[in-house]
Amino acid sequence: MVSMSIPVFAQPAPANSSTSAAAAAQDDDPDMDPNRAQPDFTLATLPTNLRLPRHKMGFRVTHRFGRPLGEGDLGDLAADLFGLDAGGLIGLEFRYGLIRGGQIGIYRTSDRTIQFFGQYELLSQRNRPVGLSVVANVDGTNNFQDSYSPGLSAVVSRELGEYGAIYIQPAWINNTSLQPRELVDDNDTVLIGLGGRIRVRRNTYVLLEAAPRVSGFSPGAHHVSFGIEQTAGGHLFQLNFSNGIGSTLAQVARGGSGNDDWYIGFNISRKFY
Amino acid sequence: MRQLNCAVVVVAALVLGACDERLRDVAGPSPNLQPTFSSIQREIFAATDSSGRAACTQCHTNIGRTPPMGLALNEGFAHAALVGQPSRGKPGAVLVVPGNPEASYLIHKLEGRADIIGQRMPRTSGPFLTPGQISIIRRWIELGARND
Repeated sequence: MVSMSIPVFAQPAPANSSTSAAAAAQDDDPDMDPNRAQPDFTLATLPTNLRLPRHKMGFRVTHRFGRPLGEGDLGDLAADLFGLDAGGLIGLEFRYGLIRGGQIGIYRTSDRTIQFFGQYELLSQRNRPVGLSVVANVDGTNNFQDSYSPGLSAVVSRELGEYGAIYIQPAWINNTSLQPRELVDDNDTVLIGLGGRIRVRRNTYVLLEAAPRVSGFSPGAHHVSFGIEQTAGGHLFQLNFSNGIGSTLAQVARGGSGNDDWYIGFNISRKFY
Repeated sequence: MRQLNCAVVVVAALVLGACDERLRDVAGPSPNLQPTFSSIQREIFAATDSSGRAACTQCHTNIGRTPPMGLALNEGFAHAALVGQPSRGKPGAVLVVPGNPEASYLIHKLEGRADIIGQRMPRTSGPFLTPGQISIIRRWIELGARND
């Protein structure tokens, strides 16, 4: 790990010995160090194994523009500023480091879906060939009042020195069809999330992720997303392209609109530590 | 402590795992409707539901009368009268094609599609079957239109 030379926020001077001890413990927390291999908690949509320090926070904005880039001719697309005028699916996420290696969060998208999630690191790559964490999440439509789609997944990661990381995420998601089980052949989806992020310059990364569905309910195209991103202190700015606008795990399980439809989007994240 | 935390995560996910939609919420005015023929017979053909939709057997019965279009939907006759049988109202149409609700003229009549001959059913001018009720009948056809 590389030590951060400039803190994101200046810390106030300790008031007494107990706060001084707490501050010292915080300084010793390796989770506070910037991780150049895994600079964020997600790729475009799928989770990474970046640990959130205990009692620290992260915030993320996602935006997927609603107009496929292939719709209409180039003039139409330019007039619409490549889909920026077409509205889209906006998401706000907040996450909190509840315990060492464990984080919880809430993510709401503008189609009134709310996702609650928790992630816990079971194996750290600090002393093993791969990192492993388990993620539990549940989506609820209509502000978490109507249809619920819980999911359980494992995120296996392999850091490539300071040059990035690759991921495999087997996942099971329930109630992906949003129909009673009696009316559909499958109401669960099993997918294998695959992804990677490579650092191409000091603070610049490219990323790719896909989520092929291997069994169960699997309409549309398998989710694919790629992008480029830039870190700046505690911020990360990402420009991405996806074959669908879904951004929760259940939305990803329901697939993209088609391999000929690509949507522009961006993520902005901020770490509060 | 680590094992306990892990167990909590796993158990929570499993507890949340049974989040399927409930069929009774789709079935609406006939909450006990299932995609089986016996259920459709009981809840749709032979019963007036809570929305006021008329029972099909008010007209389509061979008890004391000749059923319209020769289609008797009373118990013991309905399955044989529907599955694989040609429509008397629309030449070339088949009332129920097992496994293919789109090709089943029964669905066209219940949905009131533009291609039907005569009136949408039930012909009492509504209330008609809800989309949810029709989706359950469609599922019975998808599953093979068995006499189950």
